[in-house]
Amino acid sequence: MALALSTTVKLLEDKLLSLTISCMSVRERHKLNPPPKLRNPTWFTQKNRVSFTDPLTTENQEFLKEVVQDQCNNISSEKPKDLDVVWRPGLQRTGVIARKIGIYPMWLKNGKKISTTLLQVLDNQVIKYYTPESYNPPRPRAGRVSNRKGCLLLGAEQGDPSEFTREYCGIFKDSGVIPKKTLARFFVSPDAALPPGTSISALHFCVGNYVDVRGLTIDRGFQGVMKRHGFKGMPASHGVTKTHRRGGNIGGGGEKGRVWPGTKMPGHMGNRYRILRALKIWRINTKYNVLYVSGQNIPGATNSIVYIYDTKVVTKRHTEPVPFPTYWGGEEVPENIYDKELHEFGEPSIVFKEQ
Amino acid sequence: MLKTGAHRPCFALIRHFKALRRLSTAAPEPSEQTRQKYEAARKSVTDLRRIYPEFLPDPKIEFRNPIREKLERSDMIARRANIEIPEFYVGSILAVTLSDPHTPGKFNRFVGICIKREGCGLRSTFILRNVIDHQGIEILYELYDPTIKSIEVLRLEKRLDGELLYLRDALPEYSTFDPNMEVEILPEGAPVPVNDIKVKLKPRPWVDRWERKHLKGVQDLELPQRFYDKAKEVDTPWEKYDLMKQYMRTIPEEEQHEIFSELQTHLHKSGVTQKVKRKRTFVKPTKLA
Repeated sequence: MALALSTTVKLLEDKLLSLTISCMSVRERHKLNPPPKLRNPTWFTQKNRVSFTDPLTTENQEFLKEVVQDQCNNISSEKPKDLDVVWRPGLQRTGVIARKIGIYPMWLKNGKKISTTLLQVLDNQVIKYYTPESYNPPRPRAGRVSNRKGCLLLGAEQGDPSEFTREYCGIFKDSGVIPKKTLARFFVSPDAALPPGTSISALHFCVGNYVDVRGLTIDRGFQGVMKRHGFKGMPASHGVTKTHRRGGNIGGGGEKGRVWPGTKMPGHMGNRYRILRALKIWRINTKYNVLYVSGQNIPGATNSIVYIYDTKVVTKRHTEPVPFPTYWGGEEVPENIYDKELHEFGEPSIVFKEQ
Repeated sequence: MLKTGAHRPCFALIRHFKALRRLSTAAPEPSEQTRQKYEAARKSVTDLRRIYPEFLPDPKIEFRNPIREKLERSDMIARRANIEIPEFYVGSILAVTLSDPHTPGKFNRFVGICIKREGCGLRSTFILRNVIDHQGIEILYELYDPTIKSIEVLRLEKRLDGELLYLRDALPEYSTFDPNMEVEILPEGAPVPVNDIKVKLKPRPWVDRWERKHLKGVQDLELPQRFYDKAKEVDTPWEKYDLMKQYMRTIPEEEQHEIFSELQTHLHKSGVTQKVKRKRTFVKPTKLA
């Protein structure tokens, strides 16, 4: 009797357990977007340490500065001997970290005026390379990926190592690079991997190439529809009251009697990463590492950091060989390299010939 | 509340000035020669910033970047090596020859009075105005546009106002100039003459509320009193005492020194001397309109 009772209790328990499991499972979960895993890349650590004055003598402070300076000078980027892959279409090179330093006009040889944005390529250096197998992305790509990319961690802008935290400096430990202020990761083909410490200059790109530029747009806060989406607003007069800058109607009735997803409404504007694609490089200044890129609407304010990639736009991808995996230097280059169509400011005035 | 907010930065600025003065006094007493040299350099900077106003960058702090400004200046200097951009002011009469693929002969010459000059760096512009066949014509030129073949100053002079946009509402004879005008030469070393002509405006409607602009070069506007009352109401006479505003709107003199010394070395190198034709001959005015 006791045995029978115990078996029934166990059965009931099992049932209950199965019931709770069925309650916990959500229907069609596999079809929905999985929630993002809350895990940052390994290099997302606290960067700046709490500032306090070190009890150091001035001589010691100077000595520390000297040590940093010496290490700066020691870094040399020479082409490793085993890197002799020739560029071919389909290979993805690394991008660079740059700063948007301003906009000014240039003229073409046919007299047309173009606006160019100046992007100063900072002192980029390779910090780490993650092979396709070792790189564990925070959000893995769904499905099978045929040509998996490695991940290259780049740093830019020399910083004072004493201002950074121990963990942040640890990122640079094995690379031989002095801690940098800005970090960025770029996905590259395994053939385009670069050894740590390699520096990348503006000549990584060629004049005439097209690039995509990614930047953080200017934060404009909570904005109305006129500024955020370019709505027309409503008239200033003719009996219009209290609705001069409002959006107006946001939906119909009947079967569509609700607000449809994606309806343009007031909200937060800016402060998000945006990519402007297929911008032509018109000119390169090799002395200051400046790229003159077409367009005056590159995301971000002047003096903000942007990321430059080889373009993904199919019709604008480069067809001719580019420096691969990067430009190694060594040759004499002129200070300014211009596009063929561009009028140089040092040339005489444009004169049209009579036909 | 507003008052204190407005005054605090001023105090900071005054303190800054005081500190500067103290620094200059604390330095060892300079000899007479070096002082003279410094004064000469200072004077040349003041001269240069009037002759080459577009070399001063936009004082808006969010648009500034030293490397961009340097590159921009070097491009401007490179352009100036190919074209003589003369000294001119708002109120001067200029002739601009422009390459134009659609004009027969491929060149287009326009004579007019400079009514506005604005912008800085490679994007600096000026507007010329003339009345041709009873039709007012204005053309906006870019100073560093390579399609400009030549810029000639036919009459170098200044007016009483910084902008002459009110000529749009003035009688046409005030902006009518002979397209075949000859160059008027001023005597060597003479200062730039100021033309204190008072322009007669047409009755309203106008393109702007000129009674609010503190214009000096216009005759009595002949408006009802209520216009002047309103102008007085919206006027901001305290702004000229706002030191902070003035500071934010201008480039500090130390920076100007750096910019213009760079320009001066170039001018010396290229052998460009101030060959300003300043000899004014009497020309009998002809009635055109």
